[in-house]
Amino acid sequence: MNQQNERLRRTMMFVPGNNPAMVKDAGIFGADSIMFDLEDAVAMTEKDAARYLVFEALQTIDYGNAELVVRINGLDTPYYENDIKAMVKAGIDVIRLPKVESAEMMHTLEKLVADAEKNFDREVGTTKLMAAIESAKGVVHANEIAAASKRMIGIALSAEDYTTDMKTHRYPDGQELLYARNVILHAARAAGIAAFDTVFTNMDDEAGFYRETELIHQLGFDGKSLVNPRQIAMVNKVYQPTKQEIEKAQNVIAAIEEARLKGSGVISMNGQMVDRPVVLRAQRVMNLANAANLVDAEGNYIEK
Amino acid sequence: MPEIESLDLNKQSVKIKWQNFLKKRGISNFADNEITNIDTTIGLFEANSLIATGSIAGNVIKYVAVENETNESKGALFNKIVSALVSCLANQGIFHIFVFTKPEYSKTFEHVGFSLLATSEKGVILEKGMPDINSYLMAINASSKLENKKIASIVMNANPFTKGHRFLVEQAALENDLVYVFVVEQDVSLFTTNERVKLVKQGVSDLTNVKVVLGGPYMVSFVTFPAYFINSPIDIIDYQTTLDAQIFKNWVVPQLKITSRYLGCEPFSKTTKRYNEILQQQLSDVISIKIIERKMIDAQIISATKIRLAIKETDLLLIKELVPLTTFKFIKNNLNILQERIQKGQKINGN
Amino acid sequence: MEIKKSALAGTLESSDVQILLSPATDGITIDLQSDVKKQFGDQIEETIKKVLLSYKIENVHVKVVDKGALDMVIKARTITAVQRALDIVDEPQWEVL
Repeated sequence: MNQQNERLRRTMMFVPGNNPAMVKDAGIFGADSIMFDLEDAVAMTEKDAARYLVFEALQTIDYGNAELVVRINGLDTPYYENDIKAMVKAGIDVIRLPKVESAEMMHTLEKLVADAEKNFDREVGTTKLMAAIESAKGVVHANEIAAASKRMIGIALSAEDYTTDMKTHRYPDGQELLYARNVILHAARAAGIAAFDTVFTNMDDEAGFYRETELIHQLGFDGKSLVNPRQIAMVNKVYQPTKQEIEKAQNVIAAIEEARLKGSGVISMNGQMVDRPVVLRAQRVMNLANAANLVDAEGNYIEK
Repeated sequence: MPEIESLDLNKQSVKIKWQNFLKKRGISNFADNEITNIDTTIGLFEANSLIATGSIAGNVIKYVAVENETNESKGALFNKIVSALVSCLANQGIFHIFVFTKPEYSKTFEHVGFSLLATSEKGVILEKGMPDINSYLMAINASSKLENKKIASIVMNANPFTKGHRFLVEQAALENDLVYVFVVEQDVSLFTTNERVKLVKQGVSDLTNVKVVLGGPYMVSFVTFPAYFINSPIDIIDYQTTLDAQIFKNWVVPQLKITSRYLGCEPFSKTTKRYNEILQQQLSDVISIKIIERKMIDAQIISATKIRLAIKETDLLLIKELVPLTTFKFIKNNLNILQERIQKGQKINGN
Repeated sequence: MEIKKSALAGTLESSDVQILLSPATDGITIDLQSDVKKQFGDQIEETIKKVLLSYKIENVHVKVVDKGALDMVIKARTITAVQRALDIVDEPQWEVL
């Protein structure tokens, strides 16, 4: 029943790694994960500067409970080795590798991370990894990538490069991403890790953003990558459970508690056996309800 | 958040957009001499329209303008543009930067680390980085024993050093305890900067109270001061010469304790004549300005322009008459090289 | 170590600091411009000096334009500038961080 403590990853906010104002304030918006970007958001001449800035920020700034992720530069650049060393030394939670196309790339990353952990006296295995899929090849190899390492916590779709690779571009209805989204989602679920959807960059199209978020919520994604803090509340709204869902989940939780008190191995509700998927869903709903401040300490729905 | 993009002014459509943006913000001088030396132009866009721009020409930042009505504050856009320009220059190894701009923008630049060097009614000059004017003047190493002494100054291009220059320095040396001869450092003349300095030094080596130094980026040919924000040619000359005089007055005079400046009288060039007038206006309340009549030899005025023409025409007799022996020897030994430079397009009728 | 060439790091944007290092022969001189110089000038200089010390740099001229940077930003920018000035951008000195 470790699902109870499963980390929520509804929102992963991108923060340009060389922008002190944004790095400093990244914690105040309530994102589940903060992703410091050393890659696309940083000019080639400023790679070193961003690396030191994020390093110092990780040493000094309190980002609360947010999961701290850094997107390092790709394995085809001259920067990734120093990125890895600096971020492992800083004690980052998760390293996100861009443009992943094979499990082998994750193995390369894992080896360098393990070396860095040894060098900088960090417990080996504590730095988690995630992969961004940005090409057809990456999608085709999504299963092996998602299962590439015990350190993997998630896999993400990055649609900008992917649609280019597919000789298309992004459309409002998202048909062009349907296959990739499903493949990535399945790879994630099969490997028992999180699935993150791509960013939505048009800040003026609020309706479009809701449409896309509702779609990926329906498909089953854990959450979405975001470029603007304003989008956090919008995603959370889509992911918050209804009153009805919460009440149903509460009943399930109560039945579990009852079974525990009775010392019974069988959970039953209204004379029917409650099976595992129902329990898991109930726990997930309560998790989301808690995060959305929809329930009190006892788990009762708060009328608003 | 808008990102910095580079603008290619060689593309006519880009250039027109850029010019229209600047014109709306009161910058409308796009003369060739202002535009052709631009190395880099950058811009910030919001919803496909330009909201801020700035350019680099050598170590000079110019054509900076920012839209008033945007999502981001005007100050933030300005800082972003100037940051990008300063970083771009640093990446080229340029750490000492000048800005020429309208007086009303002086404070904005000062707020991002520029210091004001000189002001005129139409425009100002600021600098940022190192080495700056303080380090330039410190390096000249003014002797502290020179309190209450008579210290003269002469600024010359000396292209090349003539008997006329020699006469001017001699006069100053006779009348003063010390004479600073500042040789213009810009390397754009027929004689290279090294050659010009060497010939000046050789030409005054017998005068023990004369110190020959390079003018740095501060005593330059004033016509090179960018004037992209001024339209009228008369205003431009007044602005350029006033800035030149003010830099001298605000920084060089107090630091080196200068008491006088010697100028050659100017019978030909209107611009130089105006320059002398402005220098007098600006400086005469702090130091004395001495205008020395041009030396005549056989009823003809000595001028460096004449020497350069004689080099072109291989008139060694005339040259020998008009320059000190040291300069003559150099010209005679290097006549081919000098003539080659002229053939390759080096102008000889300017300064 | 000896600073042989000038180097710049940081920007003039809000919450940042721009640091210019230039070669010098007469110790460490810091020329600071900041809106909060009165309150935090000493602290800013202290942070910069600490970084210089950890690189054993004894002679350098530092020009600083502060735009309200946190201590950690000042430290990060100084490290960046030093690494650039020493021409070791690709070889971070891990013990300094």
